[in-house]
Amino acid sequence: MNPPVLSIRNLSVSNRRTKQPSAVVQQISFNLNPGEVLAVVGESGCGKTKTAEAIMGLLPRDGWSVQADAIELDGSDLAKLPESGLRRVRGRKISMIFQEPLTALDPVFTAGNQLASIFRRHRGKTRSEAYQCSMEMLSKVGFADTRNVLKSYPHQLSGGMRQRVMIAMAMACRPRVLIADEPTTALDVTTQAQVLDQLTRLGQEYGTSILLITHDPGVVAQYCDRALVMLEGRIVEDANVRDLFARPQHDYTRRLLASVAGVGSG
Amino acid sequence: MRYALSKLAHGLFLVLGVTLISFILMVWFGPDQTYTLIGKNANPQQIAEVRHELGYDQPFARRYVDYVAQLFTLNLGASNSSGEPVSRILKRTVPITLALMLPGFILGNLLGIALGLTAAQHRGRWTDHLINGFSVTGMSLSFLVIIILLQVLLSTPYGLNLFPVRGWQVDDPGSYLKYVTVPTLSLILVTLGYNTRFYRAVFVDESGKDHIRTARACGASTATILWKHVLKNSLVPVLTRIMFSIPLIVISGSLLLESYFGIPGIGKATFDAITSGDQPVLKAVVGLTAVAFVLIQILTDLLYRLVDPRIS
Ligand SMILES: Nc1ncnc2c1ncn2[C@@H]1O[C@H](COP(=O)(O)OP(=O)(O)OP(=O)(O)O)[C@@H](O)[C@H]1O
Ligand SMILES: [Mg+2]
Repeated sequence: MNPPVLSIRNLSVSNRRTKQPSAVVQQISFNLNPGEVLAVVGESGCGKTKTAEAIMGLLPRDGWSVQADAIELDGSDLAKLPESGLRRVRGRKISMIFQEPLTALDPVFTAGNQLASIFRRHRGKTRSEAYQCSMEMLSKVGFADTRNVLKSYPHQLSGGMRQRVMIAMAMACRPRVLIADEPTTALDVTTQAQVLDQLTRLGQEYGTSILLITHDPGVVAQYCDRALVMLEGRIVEDANVRDLFARPQHDYTRRLLASVAGVGSG
Repeated sequence: MRYALSKLAHGLFLVLGVTLISFILMVWFGPDQTYTLIGKNANPQQIAEVRHELGYDQPFARRYVDYVAQLFTLNLGASNSSGEPVSRILKRTVPITLALMLPGFILGNLLGIALGLTAAQHRGRWTDHLINGFSVTGMSLSFLVIIILLQVLLSTPYGLNLFPVRGWQVDDPGSYLKYVTVPTLSLILVTLGYNTRFYRAVFVDESGKDHIRTARACGASTATILWKHVLKNSLVPVLTRIMFSIPLIVISGSLLLESYFGIPGIGKATFDAITSGDQPVLKAVVGLTAVAFVLIQILTDLLYRLVDPRIS
């Protein structure tokens, strides 16, 4: 089997601000294989977002401490890279989509400006080339009227459209890994399905492995190959989706899946 | 178009409000000028004559309308003490005040923004603590100490003795620089601490927003984050502070600097008018300041629309 694209060894995250340092993520290890869609499930507050932010190196240094034996992306250890090195990796080899599409885009710049800046930064495109690429990327994520979307400010777009712009930004450089943090929690059911379809299809086309954070077992069943179950900052189960639904090993997993009984057949 | 009209109506309403208040305070309940204008031992008829000339026998509404008309036509009467028309006093003093205050005001804000950005960028590290320390020191020093210290250091034989201690004999760029430097430095030092603290708080607040995390996740550099995303998103509070401190700086700042440095600007003129009870001058200054506030508010509203696409 091919080596994993992303390999996490003993990652811990703790908050420096609280009185006794409280670990919100404790010694977790997992692999993300090429072409895989890996789910991270768990209840609110169990540390899913903090895990993702720690992998991306996004946690502010003055508030959080991150420890890891290794955060290996394609064989190079992100944990050992300085901020300047991380900057060249972020958005190019590993990107992230956020939970809250309302606030994730900069309100005072157009969608086109924010998308094009990625092509200019990571691909060295000129302004007009970058806009051309942006337009192509927007049609990739299912926009028909790309010219108009480019000129729109985030508040002029619906939640689903904003999240698709985010997908376009995250996938612009055909990254090796995409971390999608509950990308559809804030959207209605039909839009949810559209956005997730788009996301996984594009992942397949670009050969991008996806770490899909969710707390919806239905999403896990429909879109993911494998799942990690998190509870209070630890991974309590790591299994193929089929096995997970058929033979959940952990009590907590059983309860989590029971909350949407009957979805497991897919 | 509808927007512009509603803004205009709003502005007119505000102008009526502020002029009404300043009228009530300064004119209706203002000091009675009758006995300063006529000498001792006047008979009732003379008194009535003077009161009529001053318009004191007119009803409230009539006098208010007259006052507003005076403000808008800049036909403000003459100073009681010198007899010089108020409009000519304004024309003589306002440009001096602007020339005196503008450099310090602009530099003070630009420096405050630069220091605030630097502190926000290095939040929690020694650069931030250093800037914060200087700001607090600046804020806790009395403006008197700062002005006198600068005068001693720059304008006396005890220090460098490079600039005049006071006065304003400006007729070319060289002499302008000579007279404006020490007041400008004073203004910057007095305001910089406050500016820096304010701007740092705005920038730190903005740096914590979700979309900044997105920009970082897309590989944006620290410079891009600060100068593009943080700065542009902070423009609304920054503009608000700058615009609304203009009247304050021009009035109270110039009152202070001009009396300390003996500069014949509008602040000095106002100071003299207060001490001598020169009502026409005060009436004009208070009324026009109120109108200026309203104009600034309208202008600020228009600027908001330029910097934030969500406001429309
Ligand atoms: N800014 C913060 N300061 C202090 N503690 C925090 C902060 N943000 C998160 N936490 C703590 O870290 C833990 C993990 O948070 P995290 O955001 O990773 O949860 P999550 O699994 O993503 O939850 P959700 O499903 O609600 O997004 C939480 O228990 C929370 O209490
Ligand atoms: Mg989360």
